[in-house]
Amino acid sequence: MDTHQVESPDMSMTTRRRLIASLLAGGAVVAAAPLFAGHASAAENTAPPHRDAADNDALDACLERESRMVATYRIAVAGLTGDDLAAMTLILDHHVAYAQALKGYLAVEAHKPSNAPLASPAGSLSSIARQLATLEDQTATIHTNAIGTIKGLDAATLLASIVTVEARHAAALELIAGSSPIAAVGN
Amino acid sequence: MKKTATSSPISRRTMLRSSGALAATTAVLAACSSTKPSVARIGMSPTTVKLEDLAVTDVILLRTAMSMETMAAAMLSDSAVTALATKDSASVIAAFATDHTSHLQDLRVLISARNGEAYSETNTKLMEAYGQNALDLVASGKLPADTLALTLAVETLIAATYQYFVSLTAEPALRADMVRLGGRSSRRAAVAAQLINGGTAGFAPATDAAGAPLVATLPGAFGSLSAVQVQLGPVNDTGTRATVLMDTPSLNSLIY
Repeated sequence: MDTHQVESPDMSMTTRRRLIASLLAGGAVVAAAPLFAGHASAAENTAPPHRDAADNDALDACLERESRMVATYRIAVAGLTGDDLAAMTLILDHHVAYAQALKGYLAVEAHKPSNAPLASPAGSLSSIARQLATLEDQTATIHTNAIGTIKGLDAATLLASIVTVEARHAAALELIAGSSPIAAVGN
Repeated sequence: MKKTATSSPISRRTMLRSSGALAATTAVLAACSSTKPSVARIGMSPTTVKLEDLAVTDVILLRTAMSMETMAAAMLSDSAVTALATKDSASVIAAFATDHTSHLQDLRVLISARNGEAYSETNTKLMEAYGQNALDLVASGKLPADTLALTLAVETLIAATYQYFVSLTAEPALRADMVRLGGRSSRRAAVAAQLINGGTAGFAPATDAAGAPLVATLPGAFGSLSAVQVQLGPVNDTGTRATVLMDTPSLNSLIY
């Protein structure tokens, strides 16, 4: 018994079927487009990058500065006692935290920083505080200038949180060194 | 017997039927998209109005910074503060207020360089949220120590504001300018803290003999962005004082 072939799998039939399906699918996409229009426009805004490999050199310089600040404070605390020792050790710990944070951020990109002290603070507490206040000021300036050049938001945010406290270090040390409150503010 | 040749499990008819159903469903879904609430409610309910999408630009951040500096200057020179401040602290607080006013000029230059419009008012929302409340508490408490406590809180708030704005600023050079301005407030905060609890003993967080926390010049290694807390005003019936929480500006308090 003969049976009739209902559909022959020839090329023209396949092409027509695909064409119809494509047209319907295209129509569906066009119909659904208004649903997603709001999301699409939000994605058009360009945002600064969170990380940028080009920032690594500047961050390495900041890491080196912090490592050298740590070495400097280790010398400064050597002859101190009581509250003075506790206060300077607190700031030393802050700089250790900054170095660790920067090293953690850079990870394998971090170069081995120098551990050479920036100065050898000695003498009375006010003398030590004066020298350290100057170094704190310089460190905050180095980091601030780095913020002005780096593109990555994460690194800029990290450095900003460091500078905020280093500015406090500087003013507090100025007061301990004997400056007036107005002078310690930097006016 | 020859087998009937249906070459594909999907016939043309099935394909057309499925695609048509898909198109119809999509059209219905698209037609259903509406700003009206889709959940059935009993009784009257206000229609939710979607807020306009506004990008936070560098100029908006600078204008908001102006509003914060103006607010700081206004709070530190308010009669509630100047009338209570001691002779030693009055000149320092007045100098801090002057500093904030001088920062307005720095900000004005940064705004005009970006073709923006300067903003010369205080941040109304934050003044209503906590600024005026803090001043009222200082006035009602009549405690000279509150003037320095408020000064420390305001300077810490302004420093935190600039620090936060760094994460929102697009232009790297402007981020550095923000940090410079914030650094000045940080220095003033340290001086205020030392005027409250001076010497190296006041550097680290500590408590008094009763276990109450003392003001620390260096409360943390990294700048905090959490709300600044300050206790102000008279002692109430339960033996405590009001705590004012000061938050940095957010999307609903930026000056657009």
